[in-house]
Amino acid sequence: MPLVLRQPGLWLFGPALLWLVAALLGLAWTAADSSAWGELDRRAAGLAGSQACAACHPAQVASWRASHHRTMTQPASGAAVLAPFAGESIDHLGFRATMSRDIAGRPHLRVLPLDDEGREAGPALLDVDVSLTVGSHRYQQYVARIDRGGGPGEMWRLPVAWHLGERRWIPMNAAFLEPEGQRGAADDYLRHLSRWNDNCIMCHNTEPVPGRMDRSEGTGPKGHDDLSPETAGPHWFASKVGEFGIACEACHGPAAAHLERQRSPARRLLGGAGDPSIAHPGRLSPRAESDVCGRCHGNRIAADVAAVLRAGDGFVPGAELAAHSRPIYADSRIAGSDETPFAARFWPDGTPRLSAYEYQGLLQSPCHGDGAAGGLGCNHCHDMHGERPSMQLRAGREGAAACVDCHALDPAHGGHGPAIECQGCHMPRITYGLLEGMISHRISSPDPAAWIGRHDQPDACTQCHVDRSRAWAAAQLPALGLKAGAAAGPVAASAEGQASDGAEAPEEAWASRVLLDVYGGDPVQRVLAIHALARPGVPVSPQIRRPWLVDALEDEYPAVRWFAWRALRSVAAEAPADEALVAALRAYDPHAEAAERLPVVDALRVHLGPGPLSPERRAALEERQAAVMLWIGE
Amino acid sequence: MRRAGAGVNEYAARVSPERHLRWSLALVALFLAMGLWLEAMLGLRAAGWVDDPLRREFLRLGHAHGALLALLNVGLSWAQVHLATPEPWARQIRRASWLGAVLVGAGFVFGGLWHGPTDPGLAVLAVPAGALMLVAGLVATALLRAGDRAPEL
Repeated sequence: MPLVLRQPGLWLFGPALLWLVAALLGLAWTAADSSAWGELDRRAAGLAGSQACAACHPAQVASWRASHHRTMTQPASGAAVLAPFAGESIDHLGFRATMSRDIAGRPHLRVLPLDDEGREAGPALLDVDVSLTVGSHRYQQYVARIDRGGGPGEMWRLPVAWHLGERRWIPMNAAFLEPEGQRGAADDYLRHLSRWNDNCIMCHNTEPVPGRMDRSEGTGPKGHDDLSPETAGPHWFASKVGEFGIACEACHGPAAAHLERQRSPARRLLGGAGDPSIAHPGRLSPRAESDVCGRCHGNRIAADVAAVLRAGDGFVPGAELAAHSRPIYADSRIAGSDETPFAARFWPDGTPRLSAYEYQGLLQSPCHGDGAAGGLGCNHCHDMHGERPSMQLRAGREGAAACVDCHALDPAHGGHGPAIECQGCHMPRITYGLLEGMISHRISSPDPAAWIGRHDQPDACTQCHVDRSRAWAAAQLPALGLKAGAAAGPVAASAEGQASDGAEAPEEAWASRVLLDVYGGDPVQRVLAIHALARPGVPVSPQIRRPWLVDALEDEYPAVRWFAWRALRSVAAEAPADEALVAALRAYDPHAEAAERLPVVDALRVHLGPGPLSPERRAALEERQAAVMLWIGE
Repeated sequence: MRRAGAGVNEYAARVSPERHLRWSLALVALFLAMGLWLEAMLGLRAAGWVDDPLRREFLRLGHAHGALLALLNVGLSWAQVHLATPEPWARQIRRASWLGAVLVGAGFVFGGLWHGPTDPGLAVLAVPAGALMLVAGLVATALLRAGDRAPEL
């Protein structure tokens, strides 16, 4: 009889024992194998793509799929295109943009000049198929392949965008804080026809490579070497991206090495936190995890701009961002120049006043603690894999819950009761971006007394108490149990009692701080003051606030008119609603030409009565407004 | 002084058909009762259960496999009687099959309770071992005949 039949135990238990011995040997081998655990060159190993992540991280990939990060850039087809492209048109500066589809259903844009009677006249300024969509949260922009001297790979952001909240087309010029252009001037109309290859590509895609090549090196795009010097620009583009949109590897780094390492079941079973083959922002230091976000949410200057435009920024999440670029601050200079071209993007105390500078705001915050362990990082309040794509706030960290880990919650603190969260005072809405007023990411303590007599920076108190002056706000602090004059250093950095443009502010008693900003502020102040007037919970009745917004409908800046139109519409609908005002505002278009807008504004003045300021005071403030013209694009 | 052969008899008694049947039914009861626990956690939205898909999946696998494989042991016990599986093969098969069901069920459960970021814990290595024992036991039960010569132990 064969041995095996004489040994039932061998039959029945042998295979299982063999398996266990083999498994244990495999585990021991893997545990001792340094290549399964050590550091490796993630960038050299390359990208894997988000599809490859789904096998092991299905929940994370699902939450990413629902995010606006994923849809940051998409090929312009199917459900990715949020605008109708059904023959709509929008007139702006004497040009008519018509959005349609070709016979295959692909979105198409045609821009024609208009004559004085508003008829289409002359050759098309643009006549292009849309290739890419950019954005899906506030508004969606469109990109087309247009060779303007940069070769066949050159792509341009088109001059119109689809606003998702309003479900209407807007001129891109009106999305930036710039004065209206001249009617019929093609250069003005195309002011924001910006090149995708060396602009948008960087922060709207994963592992972007602009691929900018110099023609002086004697190269040209493949198959297009015959471009004449007259038509060819100094550069041509061979751009590529690892993946459209902000995908897994934008935050976790190139993942091919990680996939290769984790292909071993023994390696996965042994697991353990901190596999250096991939970055896990949640396990990095506050500075390092914030660097991952700051790569895009903190405008910066590359250490080697030419290298970045050729081959990408070289940053790998988990590494030090400062090794590749420096964040832009008010006093930042470009090499070889003594000018500070970015100063207008910051308040006088250095606080960023535009979006996409959140990283700088965090770094300026005492809570960040210089990014050391225990300091505040982006990840504390934001969760890229949470359930709510909008703002991506971490569950359980909203309102005061975001602060209680470090700050004992005192219900009496601030004296405003539970209706006002910590962020209301410590992260006021003094940031402009994407046609919205946004909270500041520089966490600070309000100190209105430090700004009395100045007109160049808003403060948390008067952004809510829209009918009050800064002096009033300062006088209230002791009654609320707060210390006055506790402002941190940045305020003292400017000359006391004087605005940064040198003009004194004697008009403090004329009206509330917000109203003074609506009439006399620079464009950022104006949009934020208007935004403040329409915020929910403002302690002033809608009947009082409505006339305060009418004059801004005449503003020279289309973006300011847009804010005023939306704010007035919102305040008109507040109880008790003014149905006649709501109806009248339907006839107003902030992007229409002045001849169409002004009759509506005049009718609104008749309906709502006189504005809050005498003509003389209004003229004085508008004179100052004209002296602080801003051009803030991208 | 112990009688010669007493050890074998005691060993045989430990895995007698009756005892195997009772222990198999107990195993069915244990893994079915685990279902109540899982259902309660779902009802109570217990943290670490509803928010942990990997743990949920492996506890469910443990619950289902444990209960079904314990039932398989009940069937095997019945089959051994009807097929007159020769001893001591039958004894060893009962032992392997019951242990196999325990290893598969418990391997899933403990692999799910203590798991890594993307994979179950090391306890899941017991699952293939248990499965091999069960398969071997089933194959042996199917192949062996009443008249097959008993191996010499």
